[in-house]
Order: sequence, then structure tokens, then C-alpha cells
Amino acid sequence: MPDGLQFFLAALVSFAEPATLFTIVWATLLGITVGMLPGLTATLGLALLTTLTFRLDAGSAILILICMYVGAIFGGSRSAILLNIPGTPANAASALDGFPLARAGHAGHALGLATVASFFGGIVGMLMLALIAPVLAEFALKFGSPEFFWLALFGIVISGRLTAADDPVKGWIAGFLGLLAAMVGQEGIHAYQRFSYGNSDLAGGFGLLPVLVGTFGFAEILQVMKNREYKTVRGVGDRILPRLRDLRDNARNILRSGLIGTFMGLLPGVGEDMGAWASYAAARRASKHKEKFGKGSIEGLIASETGNNAAVAGAIIPVLTLAVPGSAPSAVLLAAMFIHGIRPGPLIMIEFPSFVFEVVAMVFAASVAVLILGLALTRPLLLVLQVPRERLMPVIFVLCTIGAFAIASRIFDVWVMLGFGVIGFLLREMKYPMAPLVLGIVLGPILDKNFRRSMVLSDGSIEPFFTRPISAVLAFITIAVVCMAIPPIRRRILGLLSVFSFRRSKS
Amino acid sequence: MSDGETGAQRGVRADFWFGFGLTALGLVVTFESWRMPRLAELNVNPMTAPGLVPGMVGIVLTVLGAVLCARAARAGGWRMPNRASRDHGTDGDLARQTGRFFVALALSVGYAAGLVGSLPFWAATGIFVFLFVVIFEWRGTRSLASLVRAVFMAALLAVIVATAVTFVFEQVFLVRLP
Repeated sequence: MPDGLQFFLAALVSFAEPATLFTIVWATLLGITVGMLPGLTATLGLALLTTLTFRLDAGSAILILICMYVGAIFGGSRSAILLNIPGTPANAASALDGFPLARAGHAGHALGLATVASFFGGIVGMLMLALIAPVLAEFALKFGSPEFFWLALFGIVISGRLTAADDPVKGWIAGFLGLLAAMVGQEGIHAYQRFSYGNSDLAGGFGLLPVLVGTFGFAEILQVMKNREYKTVRGVGDRILPRLRDLRDNARNILRSGLIGTFMGLLPGVGEDMGAWASYAAARRASKHKEKFGKGSIEGLIASETGNNAAVAGAIIPVLTLAVPGSAPSAVLLAAMFIHGIRPGPLIMIEFPSFVFEVVAMVFAASVAVLILGLALTRPLLLVLQVPRERLMPVIFVLCTIGAFAIASRIFDVWVMLGFGVIGFLLREMKYPMAPLVLGIVLGPILDKNFRRSMVLSDGSIEPFFTRPISAVLAFITIAVVCMAIPPIRRRILGLLSVFSFRRSKS
Repeated sequence: MSDGETGAQRGVRADFWFGFGLTALGLVVTFESWRMPRLAELNVNPMTAPGLVPGMVGIVLTVLGAVLCARAARAGGWRMPNRASRDHGTDGDLARQTGRFFVALALSVGYAAGLVGSLPFWAATGIFVFLFVVIFEWRGTRSLASLVRAVFMAALLAVIVATAVTFVFEQVFLVRLP
């Protein structure tokens, strides 16, 4: 740990150069702008910036991407509070109390509270990242092929279950469609070209970035242009700087939401939106003023904004230690790390020990930038929300086209972006979540390779998948998540548990 | 009071047909995976055959598609919409939304798959931005004066975006443009 502190401080000192500080400011500001605009998400912002930064050195590129990530998740709170339209899906819970506060004439107060809550969320998440990542990386050294297979499957199952809470079948369909997309192209063991039918472009498979730019960029453009125009924003008249009393009264709420947000971020593919919703629900349960939730509760707004920003750092933990993304934007971050020659995974603390703490310092720098820029530029930033969508969306689409093309210079990738954009639009229209789809694409090769590798090692026996301790635990959790989502099985299990607990209480 | 088709009914019908299509896709994927070589002539362990995992994915998609389809069928998703009970207000709104969607789709596909690569990037981008802004702002304008203003704004934006994007990506970020 002292080494960790040393790496962290060294990284912070290296940021204290004018050029780096300028980078932190512009990347965070760009992230806030992207997050503010309904239709532009953190995932899209990261995917486009990965294209722009792939010629930079690894440290600068990852710093820019993390600032964009933190900024975008925070920026979404602006439109959630002022327009009742969450700028990113992670800010949906913030709209519940932020918008009623704005309508009651406290828009500035709500924006200020959301800024400070986001900062504290980032700090709690950052501390958890520094504490958990080294431990988890060491633990992950015990993982073999069966464990990685179950981890990939668990990621898709839990992501599908939690991001489509009302209808897990739709979440799982999205996840397995992602897995199917990942199966296209040359596989990693025998170099056989699956589902390619002699087409050399298909043999290369679908690139992650064109797919993400399509599902999060082009699909959103189609969605925004299809819907009625959103109303442009009014001014903010009241005080923006939060009162110390509000923060003191919510200290426990902030800590709880930060921890819940980090935990939700840690779960593969679950991400910031669930971090916000789970923190919001916990704050409501613990509150003495439950009736205010949904009608302008300060506690609710603070909980959701702390939760989603803590989930950013939480989602980076599995990226660094297991090479499994905790959310859709962190999937892009993972891809960017591979592009820049960093190999995240269990060996990260051995191969790149300083990098983990550099990332911690980057989250810290981005959180501080969010606090300063969020409080100082509240009013000027509102101008962004006044740009009509008819003028903004074609510019975004031009960037999507460049973003899809630039990494591999293949026109095929532009077609992939268009195709996945239309598929993403249709799936969204039918209420399918996008995070499991992305996770399926990212985890597909991991699941495939580790399943078959394990079968080779065990000479065709599936026994190790259930007898190795960690593998057995992951298998049990995965199967339990599936079973608990099937109503007749859930009723049966809950019935058995209640009989068991009744007998215990009698005895 | 209108008893027009609700969004939930439309959703159930979409689930039914999507579930049906997904089941078919799952079956095709399973069949195609089965057809993949087992590489037995190379003494490859059959449990590492390239079609194994895609085949499992195909089976899961078939099951999930069948569950979705059966569930939607139970809720009446197989029924066609009743024309007599249509709500003209909702239908009109839907038609406008569908219209905006197809215009945006056509313009975007026309740019990315048609103009890009056939014309210099700056020219393709300028034409696309100009057309996009004019068409969408024209759909929302009522007077000639506002139409003229929209055309002027569109031309200005097209020139700025085409020049700035080409310069920034090619000269500053050294990115190769299509």
C-alpha cells in the first residue's frame, strides 16, 4: 500500500503541468457537454474520443478518456434537473427529485448539490478503487479457464437481470445477441472463420468501436430525431453553491450511496444507472422523509448523483483486474487500454503496478475538475442545451462516421456502425437494454476461448466447471440468478426458505 | 372515449414477432454451427470444435425466443391490429414520428454509404449537414422568412463543420478520413 500511495502521489505530481492540466479541463468539459446533451451518452463520447486519441501516448489517452467518462456521467444531471430528460441513462434517478426542485424555483440549488454529490461519489469510488483493485487482482490470479468462463457468463446473466429488472428475458436476449455478434469472424484456437461465408471483412469480425458507435451514437440520433423536440432550458436564478448544512445532514447518505454505487459498478455490465437507482432506493428506505422522494427530495438527488459517480470508479475495478467491463462506457475504456498496449487483467499488479494508481489519480483529477467546472460554469454551460437538435445531430453523425472508420480505415466498419445503429434503435424501441449487448460482444471471445481451453485441459470433462471452488461458487450464483428470475422456481425457493426459517424460529 | 390501440398492445405484438424471428435465428445459428468442421482429421478434440460455443448460443437464443413468443402469444400478440378501433390522433403522431425516423435514416445512410468515398470528405460532409438542417428545419417552419433563415443557417453550419472537422481530424489528430 505505501507503494500505492507513492504511485498515486507521483501521478498527481505529473499532472501538475500546464499542458496536462489543460487536457484535464478540456476533456472533462467535453465530457460534461456530451453528458448534458440528451441523445449523447458517455459510451458514445468515449468511443469517439478513443478514435481521436489512439495516436497519443497511453497515459495521456487514458487520462482524456477517464475525464470524459467522469464528466459525462456528471453532465447528464444538468438536463435531468432542468429538462426532466436524463442526459445519460445514469441520471434518470436524478430527474425524479432534481426536476421538481427546479420547477419549484431551486434549479441552481439542485445543480449545485448534484455537483458536490458527484464529486463525493467520485472520491468514495476512487478510494474503493485504490483499496479493492490490488486485492481483487491478487485474488484473480487463482482464476483458471473454468473461472473465466463462469465470470463471463455471470456478467451477461447479471447484467441482463439487473438492467431489465421488469423483464429479464429481454436483458438476456440482448446479452446473447451480443455473444452471437462476437462469434462472427476468425476464432482464436483453430483460426476457423465463423459465419463469414468467404467474406474477408466478416472474417475480421465486428470491431467493438464501430458497434458501440452504432448502438450508442447512430441509434440515439435516430431516436432523438424521431421524438418530439425537447423544450430548451430556462435560466437559473437562485444560489448555486450548496449550504454546508445540507452536506453535513447528508454525510451518511453520501457514504452509503458511494459504497452502493461502487458495488453496483463492480458487477459486470451493470453500471452507473443501477448505481444511481440502488443508492436512491437505499436512501429512500433510510430517510425520515420518505414522502418527499419523487417530489423534490434533496436526499434523493444527492443519493442518485453520488451513486452514479461512485459507480464510474467501481466499473473501472473489474476492467483493470479481470479485463471484464463493469459498464458499457468502461467496455470502451477496456478496448482503449488494449489499443494502447496496456494489458488489464489479473497480472496488472505484476506487469503494470503503477498504472492502477495512476488510474486512481486520474479519477481524482477528473472529480476535482467536475467540482470546479460544475460550480463555476453552471450558467455558461446551459447554453449547450439551447442548441437545436436539427443542427447538432448531423454534426454528431459526421463524428460517428469518422469514429467508426478511423481505427482500422475500413469502409466495412462504417457499414457495421449503420447496421448496429438500426438494430440498436429497434431493440431500444422494444425496451431491450443495451448494456448486456455490449457486454456480450466484449465477453464473447473470453467465454468462447476459456470454455474450449478448459475442455482441452480436462480432456472433454465438464467436471472442473463445478468442482473447482471458485468456479463452483460462480456457477452457483449464475444459476441462482437465472432461477430467481423464473417466477414458479422463485416461488418454490422462497416457499422452502420460509418453511425452513419458520422451523428454525420454532425450535 | 377512444379505445384505440395502446402502446402496451403494440409492444406485445412486437414481442410476438420478434420472439418468432429470434427463434428462427437461433435455429439457423444452431444449424450453421453444426455444419462447421469438427477438424477430426487433424486429431482435434471434438470439445474444442469451432461450432461448439456458437451452437450453444444458438440453442439459448432459440429457447429465449420461444419463451418471448409464447408469452406474447398468451397476451394476444398474434392478433393483427383492429383497423376499426384505431385512434386517429395517436396514429397521426406515430406517422409523424415514423416520417422523421425515415428521413433521418435516409439522410444518414445516404451520407455514410453513398456520399462518403464518392466525393471528397469535406464536400460530402458539407452537403449532408446542409440537407439535414434544411429538411428538418423546413418541416418545422411555417413562413418563407423562417425558411430563408433556415437555409442560410444550414449553409453556414455546413461550411463551418466541413472545414473544421476535416482540418481538426486530418491536421491536428492525424486521423485518416474516409
